[in-house]
Amino acid sequence: MKQLVIHPERCTGCMQCELACSFVQTGTFQPSVSVIKVHVFDEQASMAPYTCFQCEEAWCMTACPVNAITIDNVIGAKVVLSEVCVGCKLCTIACPFGTIFYNPESNKAFKCNLCGGDPACAHACPTAAIEYEDSETKDWVGPWAERLNESFLTALAGEPS
Amino acid sequence: MKTTHLIIGAGPAGMAAIDTIREFGDTSPITLVSSETPYSRMVLPYFMDGTIPEQNVFTATDDYLRERNVEPILGRTVTSLDPGGKAVCDDGTEIEFDDALIATGSSASRPPIPGIDGESVFNLWTLDDARAVLAQKGGEIAVIGAGFIAFTCLDALIRLGARVTLVEVEDRILPRMIDEHGASLVRSFLESKGVSFRVGAQVSSIEDAGGRKEINFADGDVLEADVVITATGISPNLGLVDGSGIETDFGILVDDHMRTNAGNVFAAGDIAQGPVIGSDRKEVHAIQPTALEHGRIAGANMAGGDAAYWGSLLMNVVDVQKLQIASFGDWLGEGAEVRTVENDSRPVYRKLIFQGEVLTGAVFLGRPDDVALLNDMGMTKGLIQTGLHLGEWRKYLDRYPLDIRRPYVASKAAEKLLEMQLLNKPSIPRGYRQPDPDPKYWEYHDVFVSTITEGE
Ligand SMILES: Cc1cc2nc3c(=O)[nH]c(=O)nc-3n(C[C@H](O)[C@H](O)[C@H](O)COP(=O)(O)OP(=O)(O)OC[C@H]3O[C@@H](n4cnc5c(N)ncnc54)[C@H](O)[C@@H]3O)c2cc1C
Repeated sequence: MKQLVIHPERCTGCMQCELACSFVQTGTFQPSVSVIKVHVFDEQASMAPYTCFQCEEAWCMTACPVNAITIDNVIGAKVVLSEVCVGCKLCTIACPFGTIFYNPESNKAFKCNLCGGDPACAHACPTAAIEYEDSETKDWVGPWAERLNESFLTALAGEPS
Repeated sequence: MKTTHLIIGAGPAGMAAIDTIREFGDTSPITLVSSETPYSRMVLPYFMDGTIPEQNVFTATDDYLRERNVEPILGRTVTSLDPGGKAVCDDGTEIEFDDALIATGSSASRPPIPGIDGESVFNLWTLDDARAVLAQKGGEIAVIGAGFIAFTCLDALIRLGARVTLVEVEDRILPRMIDEHGASLVRSFLESKGVSFRVGAQVSSIEDAGGRKEINFADGDVLEADVVITATGISPNLGLVDGSGIETDFGILVDDHMRTNAGNVFAAGDIAQGPVIGSDRKEVHAIQPTALEHGRIAGANMAGGDAAYWGSLLMNVVDVQKLQIASFGDWLGEGAEVRTVENDSRPVYRKLIFQGEVLTGAVFLGRPDDVALLNDMGMTKGLIQTGLHLGEWRKYLDRYPLDIRRPYVASKAAEKLLEMQLLNKPSIPRGYRQPDPDPKYWEYHDVFVSTITEGE
């Protein structure tokens, strides 16, 4: 199955993924409603995008009281069926990855649906930090960030709190 | 009659169990007995406020059940259960079973106040309750009990055109959902929207007065209303296990396989008192996500699987007049280390609760359009659920409590969570869905991609 593969070391923090994503998902250029988020690791002058893993447990799908979330047969993405969603937000507190959100304007949940098999974030990324290719799912950013942040935490520990 | 699996109760827990038994390839006969038709209680507010038509609260049709070899016996109540393999219904029907699931949920409970069972006093717990309340015509509504359930229906009542007064016996609202300070922010916000409150108010009686209702308080005060709604708590529907030898405490005690002390009898959902994340005590959480997880575990094990539950996490979210309130885990945080932040120009509040280096609970308050302040709720849940030791990141959160994301990513919460599968296999879509799903969920995208392609 194709996945969004994240290469944190290539990310320049240009935020094009967030703009592209918010436009596709909500019709507005509004990074705060993008379903891909660029994390800033500023002490190392690094950034990394983070989005839905399309995880196998599918916490959002299994928590939904009206079965408004399903799996796209072709691309395997977990997708919200807007006509069925009642806007109860249970998925937004059940998903432990923090990758499904509530849109107050439409009163619906929304999440990464892999743009129907042609993800806008991967298109928009100028440095191929986001690629859409056959792969297993894994925590792309965690191990990288853990390593990078050691010096940051050492600095923080030295500061008076 | 005889069956292999007897499911008692067609709420989310019972229905999740049925779907999971079939998901695990077990095709043996299932009999479903339920006092009510299959529907989801938590969807009732969305029916009441007009978001969805009434038919959309149902979670199965007769055809759906029969196609899955499930014999529905609806409108019947199981009155006694012999773990030896026999259940008796209120009409005398006897059902023999190999194994049974008790998923009877809970009922609204009312304090013993004179007049509380009078006319124009309604509960808000069942579809019939919702229908009865909808048949009222606005006016003044007094809701007794200012807890989570009252809050789930508040917007619907206001949209009915009602002026609402929330009456609470404790000296604060939402006493079992958020901390006192958060509750006071919610209260002032709602007061600014025209909702009235009486807290610390002991109701002594409810009387009829010229076609209206009079609520009398112990301190001599009187509140008039056209309709009274009680949302004063729930009690588990335990009647059927009386004298059966099945162990109960507040609910029916279950192990991590949702088994009761009678090996072939399982319990799930609001009725079950089961394992909890981060605690040795068994609890009844009475929330939808727990009911669904319980139901899935029970179904898998009834189908011959071996699914062990990692425990429930308390979590709730509710929206009132465009204020979103959410809480997780040990939100009360008694005796714990606590970090709070708030915005003094609008109702935005966050509380993080720690035991040492572990995040154990949280409270979120904000307007739904305060997206950046609410969109890390899921990550917060992930950290609480995994109980990860945050190490130095604990200190970071003291300084930057709005930046959950960095500690989350750096503590590799995702790596741990990606390994978690409730039933030891990938989930599949299951359960009944209302017809007419939207087939064009990526409509916008076509526009966008063609724009990009043109530019390339
Ligand atoms: C208005 C409202 C809003 C809510 N909002 C939320 C929310 O936002 N989030 C959340 O997490 N939870 C919410 N809840 C709670 C949630 O609905 C319950 O936790 C959930 O329904 C529990 O599921 P269950 O299957 O255990 O029990 P129930 O849903 O109570 O189902 C039990 C079924 O068993 C039947 N039954 C009972 N006794 C017998 C018997 N002896 N024989 C046969 N059948 C029997 C009942 O008729 C019923 O059909 C809300 C509840 C209400 C009423």
